[in-house]
Amino acid sequence: MDSIVIIFIAGLIGLFAGMRKQTTLSLIVAILGLIGGGLAAYFRGTYISPIQSYAAQVPTPPMVILLLCGVTLLAILGGYQRYKQDPEHTSDYFALILFSLCGAILMAVPSDLMLFFIGLEILSIPIYVLVGIEKGSSLSAEAAIKYFFTGSFASAIMLFGIALLYGATGSFQLVEIQSNLAIGIWQSPMAMIGSLFILAGFAFKIGAVPFHFWGPDVYQGASNAVLMYMSTVVKIAGIYAVIYVFAMVFRDSYFFWIDLVSLIIVASIFYGYITAWKQTSFRRLIAYSSIANAGLMLFSLADANNTNVFFFVLAYAVSSIALVVSNQANGENSDELSAWEGLAWKHPLLGVSIVLALFSLAGIPPMAGFFGKFFLLWAAAPNLPYTTILALIGSVIGAFVYLRLLLLALKKPSVSIRIELPIEQSIVLIICSVLTIGAIFII
Amino acid sequence: MQAANSIGTSLDFFLFVAFALFTIGAIGAMTRKNMIVLLMCIELMLNAVNLLLVTFSTYYGSGDAQIFVFFTMVVAAAEATVGLSIIIMAYRNLKSIDIDMFNQLKN
Repeated sequence: MDSIVIIFIAGLIGLFAGMRKQTTLSLIVAILGLIGGGLAAYFRGTYISPIQSYAAQVPTPPMVILLLCGVTLLAILGGYQRYKQDPEHTSDYFALILFSLCGAILMAVPSDLMLFFIGLEILSIPIYVLVGIEKGSSLSAEAAIKYFFTGSFASAIMLFGIALLYGATGSFQLVEIQSNLAIGIWQSPMAMIGSLFILAGFAFKIGAVPFHFWGPDVYQGASNAVLMYMSTVVKIAGIYAVIYVFAMVFRDSYFFWIDLVSLIIVASIFYGYITAWKQTSFRRLIAYSSIANAGLMLFSLADANNTNVFFFVLAYAVSSIALVVSNQANGENSDELSAWEGLAWKHPLLGVSIVLALFSLAGIPPMAGFFGKFFLLWAAAPNLPYTTILALIGSVIGAFVYLRLLLLALKKPSVSIRIELPIEQSIVLIICSVLTIGAIFII
Repeated sequence: MQAANSIGTSLDFFLFVAFALFTIGAIGAMTRKNMIVLLMCIELMLNAVNLLLVTFSTYYGSGDAQIFVFFTMVVAAAEATVGLSIIIMAYRNLKSIDIDMFNQLKN
């Protein structure tokens, strides 16, 4: 709760700093707010509110808040080059990102379905705005329209599920819902339909098959800077919420939903990676890769202690941000995959971080992505043996997708072109690369 | 249940109306072309949920769900604000509010 307050206040102060059109000042305020939020989460732990019954407590593990703040910091730094182009609105963008992060922290591990739904909306609504920041571009407008309508449709579906669950159990508190479901209420049609609606809403938010259709269009239309934020933080918050709600609260109806979740996992991985093959747009490729990764993240539902997903989402987030930052360094808002030809030779730091990020996403051993995937699948394998085998086959297809991109980036150009990296993008690339390799030492 | 019975109807009646409203909203959101109508369909879905919540609140005799209704209304208002501004931005770019005109994003 402390970190939410700190981040919210930083967003407000940033808005005031923006009245003087000082982009650097807005950036510094945002960074300080994020660091403060992360530290508060780390040192203060959980916080008990005086209003016990509603805002009872936010039991989000400090590490998750730290991860969310860190990823947002990387996304803000990586996108700063784009945001500072219109100095009148730089601080507005940062404020939107910080407010959205407050929602992400609120929903990541909910204690109460009411708080969870409000957190989900606080997370989503600023992103609808952020997707449309390229005001003159019809592609950006189309992406904002699509994201807004699919997103609010998904929210309505999830809200309907929450209302039905309340009808079945008589409470919004997850602890009470769990104890009521445990005495057999989960078999009532209302609770079952409610949990299916909630699952559908979650699948929409994290972009898993069959509710993935908005992903590629929205990712392609949004600018690179916004993509860094929305392809990572929404997914991390969504996956932690779905783990908490399904693996903890709905654990009594495990055998009712686990088959459906397995289907979603297999369909997401295969659909994402096979469709990624024939893409010519970089951001669509990232979108399909994120669909497949959402499928892999859902494996944590089958695992009893589900702490392994932390490592996987960390690896996914840093690799994803490194790739999008490299794409942005290649040219403002560039999207064509053909522009990636020889990108790794244009700057030594770009070369190193592209190789590391793609190896990590492909799951080549010394990288963070390999360990993330390995722990996730190892823990889930006893419960879901066939799904794990299918996921392994899907991951092999995925490795070829990433290696194809790597070959494209490593093609030696006939004339060598050097590009200049802004300092903040270099910092992001260095942090992402260090985290990708350094993961082995954390274990 | 008592309160619902006292006005001469059963819980089922309210549930039926809420489900019907939600279905009308969902079908509208999937089939209509005008973006303003789409926005209204989504509002209809949220209002169906409000009816459902108030019904259950009366059934259980607790105020939780009625408080949730206020939050849902605030969320619906925020969504309408953002949605209308996005629609205006889209109209400035394409001079249309027909959702089928927005089909430029493809591989």
